[in-house]
Amino acid sequence: MNAFLATVRISFRRQLTYRAANLSGLATNLMFGFFRASVLIALYREQPSVNGLTLQGAITYAGLTQAMIGYLSFFHWYELMHTVYDGQVGSDLLKPLDYFLYWLGVDAGRALGTLLIRGVPLFLVFALFYDVVLPLSLLQWGAFLLSLLFALLISFGWRFMVNLASFWTPNAIGIGRFAFGLSWTFSGFFFPLALFPDWLAEFSRLSPFGASVYIPIQVFIGNVSGIELTKSLIIQLTWIVILVILDHIILNRGVRKLVIQGG
Amino acid sequence: MKRSLSLLAKLLKIQVRSQLQYPTSFILEVLSSLLIQGFFFVAFGLTLIRFDQIGGWNLGEVAFVWGITEFSFGIMDMFFSGFDYDSFGPMVRRGGFDQLLLRPVNITLQVLGSRFVLRRLGRIAEGLVILIFSIIQIHASLSIVKVLYIPVLVISQVLFFSSLFIIGATTTFWTMDRLEILNVFTYGGGEVMSYPMHIFPRSIRLIFTFIVPAIFLSYYPAVYILNKPNPLGSPAFFAFLAPFISAFMFLLALRFWRFGVKNYQSTGS
Repeated sequence: MNAFLATVRISFRRQLTYRAANLSGLATNLMFGFFRASVLIALYREQPSVNGLTLQGAITYAGLTQAMIGYLSFFHWYELMHTVYDGQVGSDLLKPLDYFLYWLGVDAGRALGTLLIRGVPLFLVFALFYDVVLPLSLLQWGAFLLSLLFALLISFGWRFMVNLASFWTPNAIGIGRFAFGLSWTFSGFFFPLALFPDWLAEFSRLSPFGASVYIPIQVFIGNVSGIELTKSLIIQLTWIVILVILDHIILNRGVRKLVIQGG
Repeated sequence: MKRSLSLLAKLLKIQVRSQLQYPTSFILEVLSSLLIQGFFFVAFGLTLIRFDQIGGWNLGEVAFVWGITEFSFGIMDMFFSGFDYDSFGPMVRRGGFDQLLLRPVNITLQVLGSRFVLRRLGRIAEGLVILIFSIIQIHASLSIVKVLYIPVLVISQVLFFSSLFIIGATTTFWTMDRLEILNVFTYGGGEVMSYPMHIFPRSIRLIFTFIVPAIFLSYYPAVYILNKPNPLGSPAFFAFLAPFISAFMFLLALRFWRFGVKNYQSTGS
């Protein structure tokens, strides 16, 4: 446990040192938040609410997705893959810390750092420009934070699995792009899922991708509560369990298969 | 000149061959970019069903600006990837650019030939499909002049986006790293150009008029081609400035690039 926490801490500190990159990323995500919000405002011109989502909720959605992009890092993550191709993986597997836990620690530190210096400030600035919806009770804040944590675990579980492809093939980047394309497509990052046809929205919500992005936002803007909220959290937990088990099965097979080049 | 061109062709051929080394990977990449990019438009179309229109434009009309932007951006992203600051930045930092400078061949040509991303065919195809979909919807408003203006617009947009890439690549000579903020103008520019631009607040429109003149490459020409009212009340000839503005930008970008190369100091790594 100590080794895990130390990994988180080191990774967290490293993330904080990239000040210019974080600031530049923040400004970029913020601008994209403005673009998406403008499009939503133009769409909603004659309707106050669509499929239970108000304009204010939709604008909040646009700001939150941009604030979460860096934290979840759901669509572009090849770090583990790179260590396989440059041979670093050899010493990583020898570490006195489980390989899965080691990467989880690295990613948790990175995510936490990004959330604090990029995500939170972004949403605060966004809220200066638009009238956003905020959680109304302490319970809702708590539920949101919990579901945000679950979201990271789902995202990590998926990214870890995708990156493990590099244990088998010398060029897994293509597989990665395809897999991250899936998570980008069905997560609801582009447009609020509530605006899609119901069948597509429902499918995305039940997929690990919607569970990671869409559910925390739904909790934040108060579109799910009571039984629905519990159900949403259970969907998230289910995916965490499934992905962690899959990750371990694939990792165990992969380690036996792995050929380390260079190093 | 002839030698340069044949050399460029050779460099590109090597790129294509190496990218086809892993056929499964390649096919997956083309398919994924086709699907992901295509999904955005499908998602937008499905969303528009709930609202009917955006800024007074229907789906066929939005598809025009959307398709032409995707198509042009895809072509640019395939041919000018050498200047893609996402990969050029790291190349400069690692000293790869120094290596190119040592060769007795024009440096611009070498950078152009250093990266040719064949998988962009997915995005190009996607843009073309959307553009054709749009033309089927809007053909009634098209005259022969308008039809002839469409390829001119595509070329103008390719020049426009490539200027942004070249300027972005040049900035990395000083920053030694890619600046993510540049994405606001390149990918963000592509995004705003995919909608009727009068829906954006004045501040965003001003940025994309005076800092990066994207509005002349998409909105004004589209208003003319689609016979749409122009709530911005700008003069009619704005529709025809696209080729001149993009050619000017391209020349300016090349000048900046040459200035950057001249003043380049290696990191020594």
